Amino acid sequence: MNLLIEALWAPLTETYFQKALIGGCAVALVSGVVGCLVVLRRMAFLGDALSHAMIAGVAGGYLAMKLLFGIEAHAPSMLLGSLIAAVITVALIGLVSRVSRVKEDTAIGIMYTGVFALGVVVVSIFRGYIHIDLMHFIMGDILGVADSDLWASVLVCAGVLTVLVLFFRHFQLATFDPVMAASTGLPVLLLDYALTGCVSLVVVSAVSMVGVILVVGLLITPAATAYLLSDRLDRMMLLAALFGVTSVIGGLYLCVWLDSAGGGAVMLFCTLQFLVVLVLAPRYGVLARWLRLRRLVPQQVVEDVLISVLRQERDTPLPVLQRYVQVQQPTVLHKALRQMEQDGLIVVTPDGYRLTEAGDKEARQVLRAHRLWESYLASIGTPQEALHPTAHRLEHIRANGTVDYLDAKLGQPKVDPHGQKIPPKQGNNNHDKPNQES
Amino acid sequence: MDTKKVPAIEVRHLTVSYGARAALLDVSVTIEQDQLVGVIGPNGSGKSTLIKTILGFEKPDVGEILICGEDVQKAKGKVAYVPQRGAVDWDFPITVKEVALMGRYQRIPWYKNASAADREAAMEALSLVRMTDFAGRQIGQLSGGQQQRVFLARALAQGSDILLLDEPFAGVDAATERAILDVLERAKAAGKTLVVVHHDLATAAEYFDNLILLKQRLYAYGPPAAVLQEELLSQVYEGKLRVFADLARKEGAR
Repeated sequence: MNLLIEALWAPLTETYFQKALIGGCAVALVSGVVGCLVVLRRMAFLGDALSHAMIAGVAGGYLAMKLLFGIEAHAPSMLLGSLIAAVITVALIGLVSRVSRVKEDTAIGIMYTGVFALGVVVVSIFRGYIHIDLMHFIMGDILGVADSDLWASVLVCAGVLTVLVLFFRHFQLATFDPVMAASTGLPVLLLDYALTGCVSLVVVSAVSMVGVILVVGLLITPAATAYLLSDRLDRMMLLAALFGVTSVIGGLYLCVWLDSAGGGAVMLFCTLQFLVVLVLAPRYGVLARWLRLRRLVPQQVVEDVLISVLRQERDTPLPVLQRYVQVQQPTVLHKALRQMEQDGLIVVTPDGYRLTEAGDKEARQVLRAHRLWESYLASIGTPQEALHPTAHRLEHIRANGTVDYLDAKLGQPKVDPHGQKIPPKQGNNNHDKPNQES
Repeated sequence: MDTKKVPAIEVRHLTVSYGARAALLDVSVTIEQDQLVGVIGPNGSGKSTLIKTILGFEKPDVGEILICGEDVQKAKGKVAYVPQRGAVDWDFPITVKEVALMGRYQRIPWYKNASAADREAAMEALSLVRMTDFAGRQIGQLSGGQQQRVFLARALAQGSDILLLDEPFAGVDAATERAILDVLERAKAAGKTLVVVHHDLATAAEYFDNLILLKQRLYAYGPPAAVLQEELLSQVYEGKLRVFADLARKEGAR
């Protein structure tokens, strides 16, 4: 126990860890919140593009200050340089996708690799002048955060959060329904630019910590995790911020304990969080989906039960049903019977199962479909002995007017090929209305 | 107020283009107040573009649009809109209640939160379309007709006198179509002007006071009996003549 407390406490006394914690949390907080809008607007690739474009900006800013004023590694101008590079990249992407047939995703791919390559070439040509460690840039160094980076990230966090909170409704509406937003007089284009600006700021401030490659993950993974858990944008943003912060904290401890790369540990933790939520999320999770599917009783089995009981014309015991209703596993039949009892289609009597009024109505519609399909099959020359089994498979195809079509096409027959009466159409046929109103 | 009413929507010589292709060409239409107007025409005939231009979302190349006598760019928020089902992201994290509340956003100053009165108005709009029971649901968990009604509630909550609806009857069953139409007719009775993009010619005559027949150009505008003419329809819907010939005859027999 003491060991655990020690393991948790010891890093907190180190300055580098404190700085990493503060800077990382600030960055993760704001990128989680902004990331929600990025995810909902499907702009994920843009974050990637912005981060890669930065290196050209950083090199440009470094070079300009060095050549003009002889100042070495001037942080603010490098920051400014990366913002300018980000804006130019976004503008180029827009331009290429507008003026040519090249689509936006391709334009993003071309432009960000191009600008990234430019940055790499510039850095290597001027390696005598500028001292930028490419590896540091690509991988980030959360445990070696400079004070200037720390300040930048805290300021960006405060600034961007303020904008997003103040104009939450505007961003929400412009993201959800830009046409309506424009019709009520919201400056939709300006909001787009504002959001791109916010994303650029966040990306620029985060690159020094987790590096070019991982920054997009910090932007979208917590947001995507929150997306699986939430049905409201404000809650999604809160959750995303929370997931961002927890992945920084968890990642940092992971990195100290395992002595691994900082940025990698943070993103790994973040991704694990996502995977856990993906499986366990109560509504949109994989497990919940699987359980729902498992509980689902195939409509075909329900219809087979209905029609079997109807044909018996008396209370039907289970063994009879087991003979007529084909299921892959016996449990499916039990599940179907339970479900049908709940839905009020059948009732249990001492002698077996009996159709309720609703069940009888439903059963007659299945029977009608079956006999109309048989008539149809006979009319297209299906051999006599194949009529029943084929129709038995086809009787389940009843939605959107299929049965009415057959009826009309065959000239509204009264009896089927075996001379049995075809039940009349009933107005209240649930199957023509998959989206039933309540 | 004047004894003579200002037209709700006045479209004058409107041309809208996407690149070299004109989506709308020289369209002029005057829609009087308290009308239920249908916009018909084949796919890609510029129906949605017309709606978006009246909303001020698309900018016309030539021409002007007046909303109650005022230029459309100055009349922001006076026209409410129900989007096409396909244009909505149904996975968006938003509840029915919040969508209805969006109708009130234009009245809330940017530095304030939505007030209790705004929330009440949103709930009232939901009750008009009988969707209060679903207020807490995420919008993707509704049936097609319910989804349409939620957006209708949002448009009603805006309190605009002019409502534009893009294919509200697409993908809903007959009973729901009836229910939506009821709401539209009640809105009309309450003094609203409604412009509805519609693709079912068979019901167009029954539903609307006036019809706009559109295919880039304005082919006809007037009462259904005048618009649903075989000759006109065959010009607009090339090659599907036979179906509409029956329809026009039926219409003539009324």
